[in-house]
Amino acid sequence: MRTLYLSQQGCWVTLKQEFLRVLSGRQELYTVPLPTLQQVLIFGYAQMTTQAIRACLVREIPIAYLSQTGYCYGRVMPLARGYRGLAQRQQAMAEQWRLQTAQQIVRAKLLNSRVLLMRQLRETPTASGAMVVNSLSHLAARALQTDRLEPLLGIEGIGAALYFPELGNCLRQEGFILLTRTRRPPTNPVNALLSFGYSVLWNHLFTLIELQDLHPYEGCLHRGNRQHAALVSDLLEEFRAPIIDSLMLSLINRRILDADQDFMYEKGGCFLNETGRKKFLKSFLERMSIKIKTQTGTQPFWDVLTQQVRQYKQCIFNPEQVYQPYQIR
Amino acid sequence: MLLYIVCYDTPSDKRRKKMADILEGYGKRVQYSVFECVLPLEQYQELKKRLRKRYKEGEDCIRFYPISQHTLTQVDLWGGPSLAQEPGSVII
Repeated sequence: MRTLYLSQQGCWVTLKQEFLRVLSGRQELYTVPLPTLQQVLIFGYAQMTTQAIRACLVREIPIAYLSQTGYCYGRVMPLARGYRGLAQRQQAMAEQWRLQTAQQIVRAKLLNSRVLLMRQLRETPTASGAMVVNSLSHLAARALQTDRLEPLLGIEGIGAALYFPELGNCLRQEGFILLTRTRRPPTNPVNALLSFGYSVLWNHLFTLIELQDLHPYEGCLHRGNRQHAALVSDLLEEFRAPIIDSLMLSLINRRILDADQDFMYEKGGCFLNETGRKKFLKSFLERMSIKIKTQTGTQPFWDVLTQQVRQYKQCIFNPEQVYQPYQIR
Repeated sequence: MLLYIVCYDTPSDKRRKKMADILEGYGKRVQYSVFECVLPLEQYQELKKRLRKRYKEGEDCIRFYPISQHTLTQVDLWGGPSLAQEPGSVII
């Protein structure tokens, strides 16, 4: 996966032959060859010329426009031509299949959170750690026994209420505290990091889902509406802990991020500033390129994401198959 | 994903410019008319298709050498830029 991230404010992107040229004023910052590019993510204010946008459209390179804090306003995508039967199949999936898929997603989310905590607790045990770990595995088992969506969402909620404070206990740098998860807006640096991280990953997943021709607004666990791409949020769940939460921990505990220098406070919330965003994105990309062991061999995280989206698509064509979310180990 | 060495030779300035422009997008120029490209099969075929349109039978010569993983480790470089790597993401 090759992505151009533009987080520097006020730069220009122009087309030159086979390249996108990124300029700041008159100075050329970088040239990115188009044929190997897969997507462009613009954080905040960077301009693309019509020629550059058109070249991306021709090559089916989606351009996502995000706020500096990672909220996605929208994307530029070429018109889909031809076959759109997949979306109809998605809409026609049986309630039972949806519930089953939602159960698997919640279960995997809880188990992944549990493994992340267990790894941390092995190094630095806490008083409440063992209880939380046990509760999470108990909840994961309960998730499969629900018969409706509401109790399943309840289980997910209880899991989150137990998980985040315990995740906060794993932080080992002054100035970083996590008591509960707050969002819209995030109120402290840790929540700002999580929100930004989830948002970046969410947008990547959205793009992958669209590239596979799946309908992003048609989900199982989250019920979509016209504003909410439910399937993206569904498939994000299994990756939250292994990718973003663990990255957050390592950035804080290895003192790569600084509570004073890398954050800013505005509009009643706390957000990463420009240096913070750059540090985060750099580490995020490193993490996504690390090769990890899965059932189908060793591969970078990027490919695991694509593989999960593909598997979901297979389940749509073959509803007897139960979706198997990504699980650590 | 394989490393391909692509070399071209043409008497036409116009075609030479065009070939070079195309190749710049897919790989790295290591000598005046020699490129190294690390590409998945799909893009390699796309590159060949695009070069084919510029290629004139009887006058031009373009060569594509795939380097296998086995021989990639035995590549020797004397001078010039380092061996082309798989392109990664860019953060600005």
